[in-house]
Amino acid sequence: MSDQLRSLLFAAATCLVCAISLTAASTGLKGFQQKNIAMDRQKNILKSVGLIDENAGYTHEEINKLYADNIKCIWVDSKGSIIKKGQKAQKELPVYIYMKNDRIESYILPIDSRGLWGRILGYLALKNDGSTIVGFTVYKHSETPGLGGEIEKRWFRKNFEGKKVVSRAGKFLSISITKGGVKDTVPKDMQANYVDGISGATLTGKYLAAGLKDILLEYEPVSLKFRTKKLLRLTAGRKSCPVRKEK
Amino acid sequence: MRLCGLFVSNGSKRVRKMKITHTQHFKVFSEPLLKSNPVFFQMLGICSALAVTVQLKTAIVMGLSLTFVLAFSNLIISLLRNVIPRNIRMIVELSVIATLVILADEVLRAFLYDISKQLSVFVGLIITNCIVMGRAETFALGNPPGLSFLDGLGNGAGYGSVLVAVAFIRELLGSGKLFGFSVIPQSFYNAGYEDMGFMLLAPAAFIIIGLLVWLQKSIIKE
Repeated sequence: MSDQLRSLLFAAATCLVCAISLTAASTGLKGFQQKNIAMDRQKNILKSVGLIDENAGYTHEEINKLYADNIKCIWVDSKGSIIKKGQKAQKELPVYIYMKNDRIESYILPIDSRGLWGRILGYLALKNDGSTIVGFTVYKHSETPGLGGEIEKRWFRKNFEGKKVVSRAGKFLSISITKGGVKDTVPKDMQANYVDGISGATLTGKYLAAGLKDILLEYEPVSLKFRTKKLLRLTAGRKSCPVRKEK
Repeated sequence: MRLCGLFVSNGSKRVRKMKITHTQHFKVFSEPLLKSNPVFFQMLGICSALAVTVQLKTAIVMGLSLTFVLAFSNLIISLLRNVIPRNIRMIVELSVIATLVILADEVLRAFLYDISKQLSVFVGLIITNCIVMGRAETFALGNPPGLSFLDGLGNGAGYGSVLVAVAFIRELLGSGKLFGFSVIPQSFYNAGYEDMGFMLLAPAAFIIIGLLVWLQKSIIKE
């Protein structure tokens, strides 16, 4: 057998063995991994409204219980009305609701934004006044660790808490990410609409801000209902929705 | 032999003990722990040593993952060392290493999801960790499987112990915690003690590694 043929055969055999073992591992562990991913989403929803302590560990059962006790999920149409059971609308948007003493405490929007290297997935929670941000979380992204990857870190996400998506006059403005610190770069009356940027990740910030704006605009009819106090309780018989499907 | 051992005098016991520590197997395993430590002596794998040493937990998982990959890549490559065609040997080594790394990553994602999220790309980057390829090239290709496996274990443990040492210092001084539990009493903070935020940044890891290298060199001189 010639040397070249031998090399080729050896390479082919190596590929085959590697591929088979990887496929076996991937299919064998898929169930566990998907359960983890679903659990991580629920955890992020709870995190966005501050229901869990970020430094503490939780078992799957604890997360499940916290989620079942506090979070409801509804579908809304493009006008911001809740879609009832059995009904269908042209555009259906999921909203997660944090219920406290039978009243809506805050509502949570799923975030799916463009990033520099891939999609940024997370949740943005808004208070029942329809304008104040309660929390922001990221559970999946492909940004560079240490640069754009900082968006998932506590220090960056904490900046969002208490910020507004409307101007002082009550006009929709969205939330933007500035370059540098808010205190030095943004005029005083606008500071509530900006969060600190990440140095070395200007583009990630730019794309994320644009993505947040698009999503907030899409959900603006719902926010408007909250702002005008038209939505305080949940009606029975609404269409239920699961934790977001993998895109 | 064992029965005889019961009756031999102290002197000959010492001789036997010395023999164990002088076997080739023991040497191969123990040398990379300190004397030829891959991080201190060979200056390999520094990149991940900076990145994952903010917390002890991630450092330990990273150390174990690398040890697993290193030991088995050494074992497999050593088993194949007489059949691998010379002209494609690096590619074969790399595919073995890559397969093992992806396996480790999949297992972490299935059973230690939170930690695997914190480690993010760094588990995947074990593939490019010079220690793995370096040991495959310099040791596994020329030594029998048993020795190669031990060499992998030793180098992995050497790397892991550096990570753990650095992470211990960084987590303790940087956030006052060990394994996520607060160890510095509240009364210290009340008295004006503050965590060193600098320890959480990458340059701190550089400085600590530098100091540890100094320590290691002075120990070896003696």
